[in-house]
Amino acid sequence: MNRNQKIFSQFGICIICISVIGILINNLTINLIRTGLGFNFSWIFKPASFALAEHVLPYSSSDSYAWALFIGWLNSLKVIISSLLLATCLGTLIGFARTGKNSLLGLFSAGYITIIRQTPLLLQLMFWYFVGFLGLKNNMFFHIKNIFKISNQGIEFLGLTLSSEFSALLFGLSIFTSAYIAEVIRGGILSVSRGQWEAFRSLGLSERKGLLKIIIPQALPAIIPGLTSQYLNLAKNSTLAIAVGYSDIYAINDTIINQTGRAIECFLILLTSFLLLNLLISNSMETINKIIINSRKYN
Amino acid sequence: MLNFTLIKIFFKKLRKTLFSNSFNTIISLLLIVITYLFCLNTFKWLIYNANWEVITSNLPLYAFGSFPADERWRPAAWLISLLVLSLVTLFGPKWKWLHKNLLIAWASTIPLGLYLLYGGIGLSPIMSRHWGGLTLTILLTVCSSILSLPLGIILALCRQSSIPLIQKLSSIYIDVMRAIPLIAVLFFGQLLIPLFLPVGIEIDRVWRAIFAFTLFVSAYIAEDIRGGLQSIPNTQIEAANSLGLNQYQIIQLILIPQALRIALPALTNQSIGLFQNTSLMAILGLVELLGVGRSILANPEFIGEYIEVYVWLACVYWSVCTIMAVLARYLEKRMTINQANF
Amino acid sequence: MKQPIVIAKNLTKSYTKGLRALDNVSLTVNQGKVLVVMGPSGSGKSTLIRTFNGLETFDRGELNVLGIKIDSTHDERQIQRIRRRVGMVFQQFNLFPHLSILENITLAPINVQKRRQIDAEEYAMYLLNQMGIDSHANKYPSQLSGGEQQRVAIARALALKPELLLFDEPTSALDPERINEVLDAIRRLAEQGMTMVVVTHEVGFAKDVSDQVLFMDSGKVIEKSTPDIFFSNARHERSRKFLNQLDKHS
Repeated sequence: MNRNQKIFSQFGICIICISVIGILINNLTINLIRTGLGFNFSWIFKPASFALAEHVLPYSSSDSYAWALFIGWLNSLKVIISSLLLATCLGTLIGFARTGKNSLLGLFSAGYITIIRQTPLLLQLMFWYFVGFLGLKNNMFFHIKNIFKISNQGIEFLGLTLSSEFSALLFGLSIFTSAYIAEVIRGGILSVSRGQWEAFRSLGLSERKGLLKIIIPQALPAIIPGLTSQYLNLAKNSTLAIAVGYSDIYAINDTIINQTGRAIECFLILLTSFLLLNLLISNSMETINKIIINSRKYN
Repeated sequence: MLNFTLIKIFFKKLRKTLFSNSFNTIISLLLIVITYLFCLNTFKWLIYNANWEVITSNLPLYAFGSFPADERWRPAAWLISLLVLSLVTLFGPKWKWLHKNLLIAWASTIPLGLYLLYGGIGLSPIMSRHWGGLTLTILLTVCSSILSLPLGIILALCRQSSIPLIQKLSSIYIDVMRAIPLIAVLFFGQLLIPLFLPVGIEIDRVWRAIFAFTLFVSAYIAEDIRGGLQSIPNTQIEAANSLGLNQYQIIQLILIPQALRIALPALTNQSIGLFQNTSLMAILGLVELLGVGRSILANPEFIGEYIEVYVWLACVYWSVCTIMAVLARYLEKRMTINQANF
Repeated sequence: MKQPIVIAKNLTKSYTKGLRALDNVSLTVNQGKVLVVMGPSGSGKSTLIRTFNGLETFDRGELNVLGIKIDSTHDERQIQRIRRRVGMVFQQFNLFPHLSILENITLAPINVQKRRQIDAEEYAMYLLNQMGIDSHANKYPSQLSGGEQQRVAIARALALKPELLLFDEPTSALDPERINEVLDAIRRLAEQGMTMVVVTHEVGFAKDVSDQVLFMDSGKVIEKSTPDIFFSNARHERSRKFLNQLDKHS
């Protein structure tokens, strides 16, 4: 295509886009006027007047919607970071078990991965919440003296209490994500050529040393991007918190829409919060990646 | 004699893989004990404790939702036609005319399904709020998959376009769609789609869900296809150019078929994921497979029988997903048999 | 008097940093003649023949292919007209992996020349027969050896009934024992009077087939002569050096 055609077609596309967007906005304003809602954000500083069971910072129902949204964002961050850590540990273990020599262990992890990956996350979350926690007896299902106990009130560990909603979400998300992370780890290990294994074995290195010093460093560049996309998925999946009644950012938006009917504004708020979360995750992973690359200058 | 050596080899192998050192031995023994206890308890529970009535007495509900009982043959007929079509696609004879018409056949499953479900000419009309169960789950999956594929291809081509404006717009769309969670897309789809339509035009919840799924999945499909497009060497375009094919012919005859074939594994994963994700509609007011489970659990007669229902639903989802994955792998294999080293 | 098929005048193409891929190249190819282009890698010989069907652009000069003129503005329509009448065979075959051999050959006749499928297939079978590979018609490219794939590529180029054929190192990617089957096919085309421009390193083949040899280095035409003179008594030092090196390798 030559330059004139390009400019011409850009012009045409501009007109089409503007008219489509114009029609949509026109419909929107007509509908908003009809329902009696304008488009503004002034409601955000009015008192929220709903209670939140879980808040990291002080919160009461007389606080503003904005504060409630911020609390929700922090709640999201809390569950995302803790499941991210748990899922990574679990996923790495299972990934190694899947590639390891012990065929029974390999079979087990393969079974674990297929069961977790071939059933919907929402179903798993409901299972953990309704069967895993609420199904337990009130007076402690499992406890070691008073240090660690699991009951239908959640998990208690050295005075730190986790609500049953949070624990169910943490379990569900971590277990679901760990199956995917295990596959990423396995892919990374398999991406290192067979020759590298033979090379370190021929040098007399033990399997464990060889894995740590030779295989993992080479597998990391293949693993990091996969991990990043799994972490981003985890962040997005954490919005299923609403199914177990945990008040994350999405659940609070949902409550606000039910109270005020301000769907468009809330959509924009949710969009920004997620763009922020995504930036946070991908930037930290980028930093980690850089640190790893800088620590070994083999290129 | 032969059997004896085989057993000997078997035990040798077992020793090598399971009991090669003390650490391995401990793990293997632990696993065996756990498996034994797990199987024993599960078996006991399945036989003695579980109350399977919550499943058996509600089977039609799981399959068709609250579709009127004497009209249930309609969703059943649609499901069977889908099954037959998939079997023909996979194992059918390699007649040329058949392959040319398969695409049309797949595209026509949507109108056929809608006709059978909605009713209309010759069939009694049934509102979409009576649709449910596995039928609705599959309707959502099939419609959204078929609609999002062309949209995804267009988006991928736009993102590769040499015209900056098109390229920017589609990049923004794809990146934003991939940044937000599916449940938000579905929820706001239910709320916002009516707001953007002219007054007087209304579409029902099922269609709003299908549109939201399509908008969401097409962004992911676009990225998969873009990956496929990028892995086609430039020399293919040069060869097509030197034969005098024009830009549209190159896209249609050379680029898209190859990109689709390269992206096929990723695309089948998307549709398996989509099938699982239709379960989100259970918390947004549609009574699909998981929604049926929830409404049955809300029934006082079956209250508290969570495990039975969840285990049953997990089995259904797992089987359908596994069937989809196996069929997809078969399709990939059949496509690469004569085109190895693609 | 045979009319010229390709007339190039002062073609010049420069990359950034003042590097020249083509430096004032002028040449003429007459109908029914075979021009062989030789030269070390990076000498601009591939760039030169790729300008003939518009795969490469040039900055200055003029090109007349089959009476159609193109200059540095590269009018898409003119180039499209040229491509319909000029066939090209590549070093890496560049067959379409998702199409069968027969579909590879009939693609352009059906879609560019709008011929009927039956006619296109019939002609494709005739060409495959000529190339000695008609038994492979329904296979896919990856099932064929390199030499067979390259013969399919030649058939694909011939399917448009071109008036000029361009070969860009057609045997460089082949196993040594497969080279001759491709060269023989090109030789037969030369005997039938096809006008061709061939970039190659095969000295024996060039001696047999060519009517004219062009030797290039760093984008410049160093020597233009008949094969008799070029291979026995090249005028330029640079050409002799190149031929010596080729001899050592083969």
